[in-house]
Amino acid sequence: MRINTKLTTYEICALTIIFIGIKLTDTTPTLLSNSTQNAFWYIPLISFIVMFPFFLITLYLLNKYKADHLVDLLQILLGKTLGKALAFFIFIFSFFLSAFDFRSYVNQIKLLYFDKSSITIIFALLIFISIFGAIRGIKVIGYTARVFFPLFQFSLVLLIILVYPSLVFERIYPIFGSGLSNVMYEGIFKGSFFSSFILLMMILPVARKPENFYKGTIMGLIISVLQIVFLFLIYATFFDYKSIERVPYPFHDVALYIDLGSFFTNIETFFMTFWLFAVFIRFILLLYLNTWLFGATFDIDNFELLILPMGFLIMVIGLIPDNIIVNEFVYRNHLLNLNTIFLFIVPVILLICHFFKRKKV
Amino acid sequence: MDKWIKSTVLIVLLIILSSCQDMIEVEKESFVIAIGMDVTDQEGIYEFTFQIANPNIASPMTADPNGAPDEILTVLGADIMTAKDKADAIVTKRISLDHTAIFVISEELARSGDLLRVIQPGTRTSHMRHDIQIIVSKEKAETFLNNNNPIFEQKPYKYFQYKITQTKETGIIPYADLHRLLQITEGDADLFLAIYATTIHDEEEIEKSEDQYLAGELLQKGGDKTQFMGSAVFKNGKMIDLLTAQETRIANLLDRTVPLNNILVTYTDPIKPEFYISGNYIQTKNPDIKIDYDAKANHATIDVTVLFEFEILAIPSLISYAENNEHKEILEKHLVETNTQLAKKFIEKTQEEYRSDPFYWSLYIRKYFKDVPSYEKADWHNNIYPNAEVNIKYELKRLQFGKTMSDTNLSEVRD
Repeated sequence: MRINTKLTTYEICALTIIFIGIKLTDTTPTLLSNSTQNAFWYIPLISFIVMFPFFLITLYLLNKYKADHLVDLLQILLGKTLGKALAFFIFIFSFFLSAFDFRSYVNQIKLLYFDKSSITIIFALLIFISIFGAIRGIKVIGYTARVFFPLFQFSLVLLIILVYPSLVFERIYPIFGSGLSNVMYEGIFKGSFFSSFILLMMILPVARKPENFYKGTIMGLIISVLQIVFLFLIYATFFDYKSIERVPYPFHDVALYIDLGSFFTNIETFFMTFWLFAVFIRFILLLYLNTWLFGATFDIDNFELLILPMGFLIMVIGLIPDNIIVNEFVYRNHLLNLNTIFLFIVPVILLICHFFKRKKV
Repeated sequence: MDKWIKSTVLIVLLIILSSCQDMIEVEKESFVIAIGMDVTDQEGIYEFTFQIANPNIASPMTADPNGAPDEILTVLGADIMTAKDKADAIVTKRISLDHTAIFVISEELARSGDLLRVIQPGTRTSHMRHDIQIIVSKEKAETFLNNNNPIFEQKPYKYFQYKITQTKETGIIPYADLHRLLQITEGDADLFLAIYATTIHDEEEIEKSEDQYLAGELLQKGGDKTQFMGSAVFKNGKMIDLLTAQETRIANLLDRTVPLNNILVTYTDPIKPEFYISGNYIQTKNPDIKIDYDAKANHATIDVTVLFEFEILAIPSLISYAENNEHKEILEKHLVETNTQLAKKFIEKTQEEYRSDPFYWSLYIRKYFKDVPSYEKADWHNNIYPNAEVNIKYELKRLQFGKTMSDTNLSEVRD
C-alpha cells in the first residue's frame, strides 16, 4: 500500500473532481434557477470562464516564487503582517462557508433518509467522520479518493443512462432564461462556487512534483466543470423551468424517478451510497484544509491537533440557521456573493504586488 | 490499551448503524399500492382509500390460498398525510407510501379542480416516487378499488404495473405519471391527459369502430371488470373533458415525448365499406413539426408531416389489394385520407373547445423566444395555439401485406 509516498497527478485530479464536482448533487441548481430559470445549466460555465484567469494568476505566482503554499505566497508578496492578515480573512470566509456547506448536506441527508432523527446527531456523526478521516493525513485522503473515484463516476454514468429516455431537450429553450442581464449577473457573482479551489492550493507541498499539482488541479477543475454543466443540463431537460425551483435536491429526485427494469424499481439508495461516500471525502478534505490554513496563518506546525476543536466549532456554527430556506437563500447566498468579490480582489492584489517587486529588483 | 479503546469505539458505532430513531423493521411496515381520492360534502375534507398489499402473497411458502391479496381501507382526511396518520391507527403495521403505484381520482374530484391541492403532498415529501400513474375513474375511487379484482394477478402491485405498461403499448391510454402532471401543469402551456378507467360497464353497446370507445363502453362478457380506455383532459389542473381511445391514440402519436409507435388500427374497406381492414400502424420517427412564427402578429403556422408505415393483418372482404395495383393505390390513398381527416378533426376540436394542445407542442415554439418573460407574455396556451393555422399531412412510406400473397378467392371456393 503506497501511503507513504506523496500525491500523484491522478490522485490530485480525483480529489479535485470529487471536491468540486459534488456541487452537482446539492441545492445549487435550485439556488441558480431562482433568478435565472431555465438558463441555470450554463451558469457554472460562465462563472468558470470568469474565474479561471484569476486562478491562473495565483497558480502562476505560486510557481514563480516557488512558495510552499498559498499562505507562504501571501507572506512573500505582502510582507509578514499584511500577508497574515489577508490569510486570516480568507480563513474566516472559507470557515463560515464550510460550516454552512456542512449544514446544507446534513439537511439533505436528514430530509431524504432520516426523517425522525435529530439534526444534531447527524451533524455530530458527520463531524466525527470528518475528524476521523482528517486526522489520518492528506496522503490517506488522496489514496481513498483515487480508489473511490471510478466508482463515483460509474454511478453518475448509470444515472445518466437510466434517465436519458425521460429527457426532453427542447426544454432548454428559451435559451436566455429570465433575461440576458440576469444570467450575466448570476454568472459573474456566483464565481465563488469554485472558492473551495483556493483551499485546494494548500496541497502544493504534498504533491510529488509541483508540476503534478498544477496539472492535476487544472485538469480536475476543467473536468469537474464539464461534469457539472452536463448534469445541470440533464436537470434542466428533466425538470422544466418552473418545477426546478421547487425541487431542492434534483440529484435525488432523479434517482427517485428512474428504475432498472420492472423488478428493480426503487434504486435511489444505490446512488445514495456513492453520493454519501463522495460527501465524506469532500468534508474530510474541507476540514483538513481549513485547519491547515489556520495553522499556516499562525505558524503552527502540528496543526493536526487542531482538527478536533475546529470540527466542533464548525458544528456549532452550522447549527445556527433554523431551516433549509434560511440557510440557503439568506446565509449562503450572501456569503457566496461576498466571497466572489473577495476572490476577484485577492489575485489582483497579488499581481500588483508582484509587479512592484519586479520593479524593485 | 489502544486496541481496547478502538474496539469499544467501533462497537459503539455499530449501534448507530441502525439509523437512530428512524429504524423500522421491514416486517413492521405495510405498503400501500394505490391511493384513491374522493370528494365529500365538506369542502377541504376528502375521502382517501388505501389499498394495502398483503406481503404473505409474495412468497409461495407463506401464501395462504384463501388469503386476501390486499386490504382496502377508507378514511377521511384533509390531505394524504392526515389520512395516512388515521389509517396508521387502524392497521397493524405502519403505512409506508414508498411503493405507491397509482393515484385513483374520482371524476367528480377531477372536475372540481382540486386535483393539485390533493396531490400536493406527493411533491413535498420525498417518500413518494414521481412515477406514480394518475388514473381518473368514472365512479368513486373507493368503488373502483373495491370492485377491481383481477382474476390471475394475485399481487396488486404487479397487476397495476403490468396492466398499465401493457395498455400503454396499445396507445389507448396516455402517459400519465406524476412527473408529467407537474411538468405540464406548472409549465402552463399544454393540456395534461390522465388515464380513464372504470369498473362499471354501460348497459348496452353502441356500435362504434373498434377504438372509439371510452372506458366502460366496451361490451364484454367475462374477464376482469376493470377497463382502462381513453383519457381525461386536464387544463390548469381542472378536468374539462374526456377523450375516446381513438383521440387518445392520435394525441399520443403526435406527441414527441410519448414513445408510442406500433398500434393495431381498423379502417373501413375503401372498396366494400361494410367491411373493415385491420393492420399495424407503425410510426418509426416522430412527426416532423415546423412552426413559422410571426413575432409581431403573434401568429404561428404549424406544418405537421407524419410519416407512417402500414402492415395489413386482416382483410375480411377478401379483396386482393396486394396483387392488384389499382386496388393498392386506392387503399393507400384511403389510409392517408382517413388519418388526415381524423387528425384534422381532433386538432380543430382542441383549438376551438379546449383552446390548448394535448401534444406538448409548446416545446417547439420555445426556440423562437430569447428569454422566458417574452415566452410567457406571448402565451402559447391562450393566444398562439387557438389562433394558429395547423396543416397536417400524413405520408404512407411503406405498405406491407404480412405473410400471405393473396387471399382465398371466395367465388372460386363456393360452387
